[in-house]
Amino acid sequence: MLTSGRANAKAPFFWFIFIPALGVMLWLTIYPMITVFLTSFQDYNYISGSRSWAGLANYVDILGDKVFRTSFINTLVYCIAATAIEVLLGIVLALMFYGEFKGKSLFMILMILPMMLSTMVVSAVWKTLFHYDIGLLNHFLQLLSLPRAGWLIDPNMALGSIILVDVWQWTPFAFIVVQAGLASVPQEIFEASVMDGANYHQTLFRVTLPILRDQILLLILLRTIDTFKVFSKVFALTGGGPGNATETTSYFIYREAFQYFKLGRSSTASMITMIAVAAVSGIYLRKILNTKEV
Amino acid sequence: MKKTILIILALVTVAGGAFAQKSVKLVIAGRDGDYGNAMQIAVDAYVAKNPNVSFEVLKLSGDDVYQKTVIDLKTGTGTYDIVLIDDPKAMQYQQAGWLVDLDAMFKRSGKPVDSDFISTVIDLCRYPNGPKGRLYALPFVGNVSLFAYRTDLFTKYGLPEPKTWNDVLVAAKKISESDPSIDGISFRGVKGNPILTAFLPIFWSFGADFLDAKGKPTVNSPEAIKALKFFVELSKYGPKSTPMNNTAQIRDGLLSGAVGIAPEVWPAWLAKLDDPNESKVAGKVKVTKHPSDIKKSSPMNGIWHTAIPAASRNKAAAFDFLTFLTSKETQKLMVMKAGLPPSRTSLFEDADILAKYPWYPAIRDALESSVARPRTLYWAEIENTMGAFVQEAVIGQKTPEQALNEANAKLTQILK
Repeated sequence: MLTSGRANAKAPFFWFIFIPALGVMLWLTIYPMITVFLTSFQDYNYISGSRSWAGLANYVDILGDKVFRTSFINTLVYCIAATAIEVLLGIVLALMFYGEFKGKSLFMILMILPMMLSTMVVSAVWKTLFHYDIGLLNHFLQLLSLPRAGWLIDPNMALGSIILVDVWQWTPFAFIVVQAGLASVPQEIFEASVMDGANYHQTLFRVTLPILRDQILLLILLRTIDTFKVFSKVFALTGGGPGNATETTSYFIYREAFQYFKLGRSSTASMITMIAVAAVSGIYLRKILNTKEV
Repeated sequence: MKKTILIILALVTVAGGAFAQKSVKLVIAGRDGDYGNAMQIAVDAYVAKNPNVSFEVLKLSGDDVYQKTVIDLKTGTGTYDIVLIDDPKAMQYQQAGWLVDLDAMFKRSGKPVDSDFISTVIDLCRYPNGPKGRLYALPFVGNVSLFAYRTDLFTKYGLPEPKTWNDVLVAAKKISESDPSIDGISFRGVKGNPILTAFLPIFWSFGADFLDAKGKPTVNSPEAIKALKFFVELSKYGPKSTPMNNTAQIRDGLLSGAVGIAPEVWPAWLAKLDDPNESKVAGKVKVTKHPSDIKKSSPMNGIWHTAIPAASRNKAAAFDFLTFLTSKETQKLMVMKAGLPPSRTSLFEDADILAKYPWYPAIRDALESSVARPRTLYWAEIENTMGAFVQEAVIGQKTPEQALNEANAKLTQILK
């Protein structure tokens, strides 16, 4: 039987398991976060070792940096578009393949295959598919007598192409989460709504989706956090180009920290990104934790 | 019985101690691709002669080797015994005192520094650069960018040998317009290092430079703008995929006969150029140093340094391997087996090498007139910044003037 937090607090076993967990949390999460926060106010060059207090100069500098602003907007577009498409497709697929059918196990294995692959492998495959001259996608377009598309070389298309790769890789995750949510709903609820005369549209929007609300919010939260950190796909597919069309905040931070070794600026960019992710995540978390709110 | 056991234990201890003293493991922070293959060949040859030395060769990308070595050398952890350093970044390592003074090690060993190394190359391994600086590295590879063009196409279309960049533009246009299946020209267009490396021989030979005598950025000079305008014009006769083309696409394009002119190629890419099993253009490509404009031919010097970190715990063993790696015999082995360009003068006259790679004299020629990238602690940032703006001009997002004015402002900010 579960006991209250107050009762737990008195038990020696509680402290026995709580203190090591707290220690790990302080060491691996809180300490680095405090360090990054403090470094974000410093002019710190790792190679030369020069480190001085800079106040808000890094924040002013980074927020005024054209490349960072472009990176931030690209990241937002990527995050919103990829999350929305993946969640919508996940719901549609889960509804389409609801219930038992022949070959479901094999189908499920095939469905989750993309998310089991390494992102670098996925990116390498898609890079070949996207190639302007020899890519399969442009080959198909030409078979349909359509002009070839500059999937990764056209600044107006490149970000969309990376979103497409993310959708291909992570829609299966959305599908599985929604599918698991659907499977946990007793069949009788749907049968009762049908007996009460509800059509498919009414059952979907007044019964199914409200029941799945928490799973969908959790899914949106997880995909938002993940897509906001996009790095590997940009690194492997475009390197941030063409121009700055696919620059993202993670890629910006990586370059500042590990190519220029400007740890002050990279910490500042990290803090700004973290605040943005925390703000968005906070909204979703509030909705998930507040079960009365619909 | 007790006595026998004691004797055995003593023998085991002595033998173990002797073994432990002799057995050494060297960790190399090296490169991937052709450089990695060449390093492995050298390591295998060394181990065959020195079975007590074992190796861990890390084959890393250019960015990875830089990150890992900077972090390790700065903290003095001593993970690596040999490190590979890209030429323009060498100054950071030398200035920070992270590397072993090889002049002192040569003195202790009683061996002189071999005079066979190409002087323009070995001078870059010294700090300050030049014959009077202290030696902190030895040149692993005498790399330099080269210019390649299809002689059969030039003959077919009655084009003169490209002596100037304008000849190149005329030829690229003619080839593109005459044969739609062939790209008149093809160069690396990925933003950052690749596109900038392709652009630099034009930039320099048009009389432009990164910094003036006072260290102030000058990348928006009239010469630089003229060079970028020319580069943008040249790119019109290249494939549409240029902004995502990198090493593999240029090499494959040249070897498959789909490219008329490759204005930026590197010796290791061309190892199979004249092999009819691998190349459709065997015997039809001339490799040479770059054309000139108002200034002389300006190929980019792309040597890689090999050095011993000051924190290495196996300096003596590392020094022995380093001298083996850069010896004439090992360099010849790496040339013959992996196509790695040497940094020694004598190997450019070696009959075996010339028989396999008839175009090798072009490397020496290019090395002798090569231009080194600016010696600054901020090269990584300058390269990425310039490489981004040059690409924006090539894809038409900015005019050459806009791109270089913005690049100059950004460089001023970086160097302030």
